[in-house]
Amino acid sequence: MKTASHNNLPIRSIADEIASRSSIFAVCLCFLISITPHFSNLPLWVSAIVMISVGWRCLQNLDKIREMPKWILIPLVLFGGIGVFAEYWTIVGRDAGLALLAVMTSFKFLESRRHRDLLILVFLCYFLIATHFLFSQSIFTACLMFATLVVITATLITINQREDRIDLRQLLTSSARLVGLSVPLMLILFILVPRVPGPLWGISNEQRGGVTGLSDHMSPGQISNLIRNNEVAFRVDFEDKVPSQSMLYWRGPVMANYNGSRWYRARRKGQNRLNITVTEPAIKYTVTLEPNGEYWLLALDMPTKLVPDSLMTEDFQLVSTKKINDLTRYSMESRLAYQVGKNESLEYLALTLEFPANRNPETISLGKSLAQRFDRNEDIIDAVLTMYREQEYFYTLQPPALGDDAVDEFLFGTRRGFCEHYAGSFALLMRAAGIPARVVTGYQGGEYNNVGNYLIVRQSDAHAWTEVWLENRGWVRIDPTAAVSPSRIEQGLDNALSDDESVFRIQNRNPLFGNFLYGWDNLQHSWNDWVINYDERKQRNFLSKLELGIENWSDMVFALVFLLLGVTGFYWLIVRFRERPPRPEAYEILYKRLLKKLSRHGLQKRPSEDSRAFLERVADRGFPQREQLADIVELYNRIKYGREDDTDRRLNSMRTLIKSL
Amino acid sequence: MFSVSLPGPVRRYFDNWFDTHNPPSPDAIFLHNRRLYILPTRFGYLFAIMLLFLFFAAINYQNSMAFVLTFMLISLGIISLWHTHKNLLGINVSLQIPRPVFCGEYCEFKFDISHANNSTRYAIGLQYADQAPVYVKLDPEGNTEAKMKIPTVRRGQFRPMGITVFTRYPTGLFHAWGWLKFDLPVLVYPRPAANARLQQSMVEQYDGQTSTSTIEGDDFAGLREHREGESLRHISWKAYAQGKGLLTKTFQGQARPSLWIDWDALIEGSLEDKLSLMASLVLAAENEEQKYGLRLPDTTIAQDYGNAHKHACLQALAVFRQPDFNQELELENG
Repeated sequence: MKTASHNNLPIRSIADEIASRSSIFAVCLCFLISITPHFSNLPLWVSAIVMISVGWRCLQNLDKIREMPKWILIPLVLFGGIGVFAEYWTIVGRDAGLALLAVMTSFKFLESRRHRDLLILVFLCYFLIATHFLFSQSIFTACLMFATLVVITATLITINQREDRIDLRQLLTSSARLVGLSVPLMLILFILVPRVPGPLWGISNEQRGGVTGLSDHMSPGQISNLIRNNEVAFRVDFEDKVPSQSMLYWRGPVMANYNGSRWYRARRKGQNRLNITVTEPAIKYTVTLEPNGEYWLLALDMPTKLVPDSLMTEDFQLVSTKKINDLTRYSMESRLAYQVGKNESLEYLALTLEFPANRNPETISLGKSLAQRFDRNEDIIDAVLTMYREQEYFYTLQPPALGDDAVDEFLFGTRRGFCEHYAGSFALLMRAAGIPARVVTGYQGGEYNNVGNYLIVRQSDAHAWTEVWLENRGWVRIDPTAAVSPSRIEQGLDNALSDDESVFRIQNRNPLFGNFLYGWDNLQHSWNDWVINYDERKQRNFLSKLELGIENWSDMVFALVFLLLGVTGFYWLIVRFRERPPRPEAYEILYKRLLKKLSRHGLQKRPSEDSRAFLERVADRGFPQREQLADIVELYNRIKYGREDDTDRRLNSMRTLIKSL
Repeated sequence: MFSVSLPGPVRRYFDNWFDTHNPPSPDAIFLHNRRLYILPTRFGYLFAIMLLFLFFAAINYQNSMAFVLTFMLISLGIISLWHTHKNLLGINVSLQIPRPVFCGEYCEFKFDISHANNSTRYAIGLQYADQAPVYVKLDPEGNTEAKMKIPTVRRGQFRPMGITVFTRYPTGLFHAWGWLKFDLPVLVYPRPAANARLQQSMVEQYDGQTSTSTIEGDDFAGLREHREGESLRHISWKAYAQGKGLLTKTFQGQARPSLWIDWDALIEGSLEDKLSLMASLVLAAENEEQKYGLRLPDTTIAQDYGNAHKHACLQALAVFRQPDFNQELELENG
């Protein structure tokens, strides 16, 4: 049997006790695990401070170096704060806040000795998990953070276990059990805690690291860079069937300005009324847009609906009022056949005819000669498209580099290009020929996921096309790329490229692996749908679909309290029935009976007396049956302290003796 | 920890309430549901504040995973409340009868801690007042012993009321505890006065039998039953080997002076000073192997010697005009 003993010095609080070496190591490890995934989000010097502090604390724990003196530590803390401010010019917000948290936690390590310090450090580690979600909410991040949560909780258990030795397996098991048991409760809270629309206070709209997407300008080479990126741009759930591939033009930034080398967006104000002539019913769908770091809300050409916090520019681009830095979900309606801009303002038409006269002279003269040759604008367009189709133009991801007069070089020299080359040159030719033209960027096509029945549109589906303005018809979409490479539009990009230029497509993989990848993408889509986008609206929809009568805010709170009380009550019931005091031994029951009998005679055992002393006293008081009493006590002591044989017989005689008293 | 100072009547009310819900036990306390209390620790409150902050951050950034984390940690808190409670539930603590001590000495309490559950119980702490706690670990269905040293400040019958058995395992967010109130008073003898000598003026020499009352001497006189505390030198090992039990050889001719330690013979000093002095006289007399008796205003202990006699005298001194008292209250108020 182990005996625990202690020193008897007064302490102020249990948390003041000096922490054990093993728990200090555990907290060091726990901090490293929680912060390492952040190193890419932190300035190098902050990461260095983290590593040095943890290293110092570990060495100090091994008695290799002494504790960092206060007169060094305090200035370091000040310089750390100033350093963060110098880096970001603020100390609040996501990035600066994280850096400050990392720096201060590191310094806290250097002076951590006591129990309380370690507990606070563990809480800071829990907090660090939350900061990861401000950078990514993917399934991968969630899994990583779940594992981190188990490690941090295991550390918390180590600190509170007060054992000198760490049994890693036992720790991780206990921690995993604790976390595992929390999951059902967490789900209840996640589903039922009423969501409040945010934000509560102003947040700087910081950009996620490494976000890719369409930009607000277009120059040669830009989109072909995007093409190599197989990240998902957005996913689309159609209410009915998916339109044919060649109709899937996802409208993004519209560029009406041209400065001779690049196309860029015109500043145009939003419009209150959509001036669209439509003939056929709308196609309804829901877009789940990945963060693009810009304002673009992608929609099928031509969107005929507005979503909250968005507006439609006069050139029919749907833009959000704030940057898309989080996954965004919106339901949309579009018409594939439409007429827009028949009454376009002269001012805007003049803008869409502008081009710098001193650049690309050959192209401009070609455009002017076409205008002289043909009367009808349609004929000019046909002539140019025929030129693309019949002359030696190639569609390639690796076009040769171009100089200052890029369009001239492309049209009359290299003749190898990508969608932005064709769209850009076509729009310039149109303008030179006197036809208002603009470039539209966005995505074309998409890959149908037959596991989840939705469309995946990737960055590699990025595309650029043009719109020309024709009298009586308004703005008409012309895609010159389709003239060069019809398969790009009809079957998707990968079919238009030669084998050595292929891009990522699940459908090109072998069917088994392909289905696995579709399943994985479907999981991500459901994750986006059910976890990341579980907001006020989604919550209400989901709860009303459950048909439990939970309709509003107060119902949710009621259900929540009811469930929590139910679970608590269940626990208390278990406790009541499972944890009962051990049944007293038979001889103790008999002994109690004896004492009770004696107390009737006014003989009470004093707490300070043991049984022998008590009985001696009883005997002294002249109790008549003192011999029997002595026998009973003898039996009692024999059963209690003697060997186990004959217990039953002794109990029986004890019982009869007590009865006879 | 959570010692809040309450006004007298309120405090007494709660003390009463506690006493009825935690009846003192003569030997063993089983920590069932009703004897257990649980409250958040300071870190529990800090954790709650952190969660509140996290919750508002999640709302502000409309970050679903931050919500998930917040709810996960709330659940972890609730689950750990149950685990902390369960870690202490069903533990049986019994106290071994503590040895008497002199006032000012540390009294050693030995607890046997056991449970019948098939789980390991970590970090079960025992704490007295504001002393550093002692921690034990219980193996499945195991038992262990914990020792605790408690300072004594007054003579008399000492019942420590401020001992708790507690746990903060596994997360430290909650402090579950039960009161260990044992109805096993420890005798605290008066603190022996320093430099006390057996002086003629203090003790009343018993006249008549000083030289004749000889029970032990140089010449072997016979055998009598061994009394606890007597020197082992005089035990008749021969008789023991014959199975007659422990017998002490008595000798004739060894004269023992006998004396009375008398309350009335002491003139100066307060009650406590006098008792201290008498205690030290008892020790001195025992040390010098004298035969002595004790006279107090309401008690007289006949002349004798030996360990049992010494303790009887000291006990009489300890409880003389001494009601039970609550040491914790005195420690707090003093």
